[in-house]
This record gives sequence, structure tokens and C-alpha cells, in this order.
Amino acid sequence: MMIKAEHVSMKFKITHDRIQSMKEFIVAKLKGTLRYEEFWALKDVSFEISKGEVMGIIGRNGAGKSTLLKVISGILRPTEGTVSVGGNIVPMLELGAGFDGDLSGRENIFLNGSILGYSEEFLRNKYEEIVRFSELGKFIEMPIRNYSSGMMMRLAFSIATVVEPEVLIVDEILSVGDEAFQKKSKERMLQLMGGGTTVLFVSHSIQQIEDMCDSVLWLDHGQTKMTGDPETVCKAYKRFMDQ
Amino acid sequence: MKRKISLPQGCVIFLLLYAVLAVGVYYIGGEQFWYSPNQTVQGTSGSTSTVGEIGKDTLLEQTFVPTVSEIQSVSLVFASPGKQNPGEAVLQLLDPSCGKVLAEKKAALSGLANNAATGIAFDQPVRVEQGKLLVFKLTVPAAQSGRSISVWYDDKQTFPGGGSWYLNGELKQGVLCFSYTGRTPLSFGRNYAKIMSGLGLLLALYCINLVWRQKKGRKSQGLNLINAFTRYRFLLHQLVARDFKTKYKRSVLGVFWSFLNPLLAMLVQYVIFSTIFRSNIANFPVYLLIGIVFFNFFTEATNMGIASIVGNAPLITKVYIPKYIFPVSRVLSSAINLLISLIPLLLVMVITGTAFRPSLLLLPFPIVCTILFCIGMCFLLSAAMVFFRDTQFLWSVVSMLWMYATPLFYPESILPQKYMFIFKINPMYHFIRFARAIIISGTSPEPKAYLFCIIASVVPLLIGGIVFKKNQNKFILNL
Repeated sequence: MMIKAEHVSMKFKITHDRIQSMKEFIVAKLKGTLRYEEFWALKDVSFEISKGEVMGIIGRNGAGKSTLLKVISGILRPTEGTVSVGGNIVPMLELGAGFDGDLSGRENIFLNGSILGYSEEFLRNKYEEIVRFSELGKFIEMPIRNYSSGMMMRLAFSIATVVEPEVLIVDEILSVGDEAFQKKSKERMLQLMGGGTTVLFVSHSIQQIEDMCDSVLWLDHGQTKMTGDPETVCKAYKRFMDQ
Repeated sequence: MKRKISLPQGCVIFLLLYAVLAVGVYYIGGEQFWYSPNQTVQGTSGSTSTVGEIGKDTLLEQTFVPTVSEIQSVSLVFASPGKQNPGEAVLQLLDPSCGKVLAEKKAALSGLANNAATGIAFDQPVRVEQGKLLVFKLTVPAAQSGRSISVWYDDKQTFPGGGSWYLNGELKQGVLCFSYTGRTPLSFGRNYAKIMSGLGLLLALYCINLVWRQKKGRKSQGLNLINAFTRYRFLLHQLVARDFKTKYKRSVLGVFWSFLNPLLAMLVQYVIFSTIFRSNIANFPVYLLIGIVFFNFFTEATNMGIASIVGNAPLITKVYIPKYIFPVSRVLSSAINLLISLIPLLLVMVITGTAFRPSLLLLPFPIVCTILFCIGMCFLLSAAMVFFRDTQFLWSVVSMLWMYATPLFYPESILPQKYMFIFKINPMYHFIRFARAIIISGTSPEPKAYLFCIIASVVPLLIGGIVFKKNQNKFILNL
């Protein structure tokens, strides 16, 4: 079993007025107006993914899809329940985490790579490949604050997808840059997801889910609405959305 | 390509390093490990009149209760009105209970200063019993009338700790202008080998335990720590490099600021305090600069570290990284600045002619202690900052107060003895005091100073670490 989630629940406390200073905290405490509202972003979600399986997660906005991905990636700790992941995990939730505008593209490859958990050796070996894929050429030695947003995304995408992870977590298939690069990046993503890795995949495109996934989890208001093979779940989901 | 070090190899290297350090520190520590610092006890600082000329039959005695257990020298304020007197004075220390002469020293009368304290050292340190009455005797057996000396006394004082003076066996009022200097042996030096080898043995046992646990695949705190370190070393390195590179990226002088800053600050404060305060601190520029370098590091590290969690919120909410990396990397990047700012310190040492002694080799010790302390503080502050954003403003006031409460540009003696605890509870005071001792005095401080430094760094680190660990899972909900 590559990923196993058991009875995962995630509770957030929401204060009515966000208290961020000691003074406000003490005043609110003394006045007795310090009230929290509980909000369950996830409630008793369980599933298993075996090695090499691709699982899709669907659901409406605010259903808890991103929260679930964050829990699996270890960014959030579940309030209740346990998650176990048997392998190195690469979450592709955001591109270019930790990019620093004052540093050159080369320096940012190493900085961003280290944040994503790559080893120094790996980055040195793959450096050429990253630069080639990003098509940045000689711009790689320039501070990235001078990059266009497209160049920045190309670099970030190239770093993020250079890995061969055992577990890949994807929040929407990323396609960035101009048309040519979008095509190229989409191919790269499909190649990554098809290469025998275990994938957890969130998408709003039912078509993509049906095409790529071995199983589907449908979340609604933080709870599992339905789980099973893509065809049945997607059909039910479409019917539900049309209503 | 870096060579990978296995755990057993690492342990052996660590233990060897420990042994080398233990031996090295012993040789640098030298006498300071064996004896407490020299202590001088003075009967009086004033004087009212002399005892009259000391003839060949005159016997002058002063009793006192020693507070040290080895007396190295005594001093008296003689009066020898401008004459080259023949003969010599005989100074003796006696145990009054058995009348035994503990030590005797002869000093030529011609060599004694007139109306100023003359110190006379015994050939060997005299072993005495602490807290037991002693008699100091002065005679001039070959005195010639009219060509002899006298000794000043003060009839308004008494000897601290009890004692009185006698002229030819007759009790007189007041005290002779007499002082003694001595020291007390410490058990630390005698037991150094035992203590350090005992500690070494414990470390070795722990290492064996670690290796054994690794083989058996069991978990332990130490192993987790080592694993985390090897795993996140590259990330730590990258983050520190980022901080350092971006700090001076758009400034013309770049890294030079790291050592221009403390140098300029020292110059300004030196000009101000050497003219206004007029404190008679020996080697004031170096004294000042050590304080500035260490305290600047503390302020910089904590001011940067306090925002390290909040400032990296985009990262923390998007990627899984152990959160302690952020405060630690911030402190380490400031530590690089600290190392660079040691260059102007060396420069000023050369200019002021401060001697470079082996004790300088101990400098890494206070530096490491300060770094650990700062990491502990950053754990606490950055965790507090997540929940209360006004911690930052509070801290800028507190750190300013802290600066003035630390003897950076004024001498320690500015506080009366009974308020010394204000310094003693301040970790920065201990680190700076240690650094000053090894740089300015050129000797290792007393063994207690090592202990204070270790406590002052490890305790805040542990407290900070525990608080941070307890709260780190809640951070993301408040970012």
C-alpha cells in the first residue's frame, strides 16, 4: 500500500475577528468575546492507493480537495486519523516555492530544488536538463526579477517536473507558458503520471479524470460522497452537477 | 564529490575531536584551572601616621585572618625618608598557635619605596589555613639608628575579617598599611583528567548505543537528530546562502559592510565614551569592539529570526519542510556575519598592540554558545510571533533595554556588588565576559565561567526547542 488514509478529519477554528496582537487577545479574553467557530474541512475520509495506481479527486470548490492534498503531503497535520505514505513524495501544489528575485536562475534552481527536497547530487546531474527544458538559455545567469512571468513559470515547471517521484501529488495539471511550451509541459506531466508512479490527482476536468485515473474519490463538504471506478463515479458526479 | 561518512566513522571522528579538545583546553586553561584568580586583601587604603623609626630591637606585628589558602606576596607602605639605608628587613609569616615560622623573606632596605606600597613576594607561595589567624612579623635586625625605615598605619580602620597590630608586643589601635595577595587551589584542575575522561566515556557509550540502535533499526532521539541533519543539510546550506547573497546584493560595497558596520559603530562609540564617560578600562577599543560584535550578532539574529516563520508563510503553507529550519538558517546566516566581523576585531587588536596569546584559540567556545543561545531565542520569538504579530515591536524595545543592561561600553564595576545578579542572569554577559577574558587578559577564565556559558546557552535552547515543537503544528493555522 503506497498511501493509506484512515478516518482523516481536519478541523479549523475560525475566530470571528482575526486576533493577531496580544492586546486584542487580552481585551477579547477579558470581555469574553473570544469565540471560535469550528469548521470541519475534512470529516472521516478513508482511502487506500496501491503502488502505481492513479487516483483522482473530484468535488466542488471548497469540498476539501486541496486540504486533503496538504494533509497527505504532510503540510497539515490531521486533527483526527492517520496518514501513512510509503515512499518519497513530491507535492506539486505550487510552482516556484521560495523563488528569490535577487538571485539568478541558476541559484534559484538549487534553492527551489532543495526546498522540494532534491539532493545536491541529483540537482547537479539534472541541472543541464532543467535549463534545456526551460529554454531559458543564457538568461539563466540573470536575476529572476528581470524575467517575464512566463519565463519564471517555465523555470519553476522545469524544476518541479525533473523528478521521478514514487508518489506524485498534483493539484490540477499544470500547463504554463506560451502555446508551444504549454503543449510540451502537458506532455511532460502526462509522461510523469503515466510512468508507473503513484499519483494523487485533483482536477476539475472530468474528461482528464476519466482518461487517466484508475479510481476516483468524490468529496463533498469534506466527506466522501462516493468512491470507485472512474466511469461510475464520474457519471454520478455529472448527474449531480447538472441538477 | 563529497565522501559519505557512516555513523560509526562519524562517532570515531567525534570522539577523537573531543579528546583533542579536552587536552587542548587543558593546556590553554593552564593555571586558571588549578587556582582561583589572585585576590588581594588590603588593610586600609588610607594612612594617618608612621609607627616611628624601626630600630634593631623593634618588633612590628600584624595579625589577620587569611581568606585564601596560598599567600604569594605581602605589601607594606614604608617610609624611608630619602636615604640609602643599610641592612635588610626580615618579613615573616607565623602560625600563632604553635609559633612556627611558615615563611621568611629578607628585603634590602635600600630597595623599599618611600611612602608607597612595596610588594614583597615570598620565594614560594605560602600554604596557610583559610580562616585561621596568622601573624605577620617585621624586624630589621641590623638597623642603624637614624638610618632605618618606618611603616605607615591607619588608626581609623580595622583589618577586614579581624586582626590588629602590635608594636613590641603592645596592642595598638587601627591597622598597618599592609596587604596580602594569594589564591586558593581549585579541585577542578586536579580532577580535570577524571572529569573529562568520565564525560568522554559517557559519550563513547552513547555513540556505541547509537550505532547499535542503527544496526537493529531502532529509533532514538539522537539518531533522528543526525538523520534530520544529514537530510536537510543541503536545504539549510541553500537557505543560508540565499540570506547571505541577497543581503548585500544591491549594495556597492557588498560584503564589506559586514565588517565596516561594527568598525564604524565602534569608532562612534569609542569617540563618545572615551571622552564623556572617561572609564579607565584597559584596552578600551578592544573591550568595546568585542561587546559590539557579539551583541550586534544577537540583535541581528533575533530581529531576523523573529519573522522567520511568518515571513516564510508562502513556503510553509505549500511545501513540507521541517519548520525549525527557518529560525536556524536565519541565525546561521547572521553567524557568518559574526565571523566576518571578527576581521575588524583582529585589525583593532593589531593596531592597539593586544598580544595574541594561545587563549585566543578558545574563541570558538563563546561563539558557539552565543549561536546556540540565539537559536533558542529565535525558536521562542518566532513561535510567539505567529500567534501575536506585535511580538516584533515588543522585542525591539526589549532588545534595546537588553543592550543597555549588558556592559558593552561601560565597565562591570558600574553596578554595586549587590546588583551584580542583573549581569549574572544575562546570558550575553557571560559570553562577552568570556570572550574578553581570552582576548584582553590573554588567559582562560575560571572553570565556573565555562559552566555558566554552557548553562546560559543550552537552557534557553532547550526551552525554545520545547516551546517551538509543542506549537509548530498550530503555526499553519495562524499564518
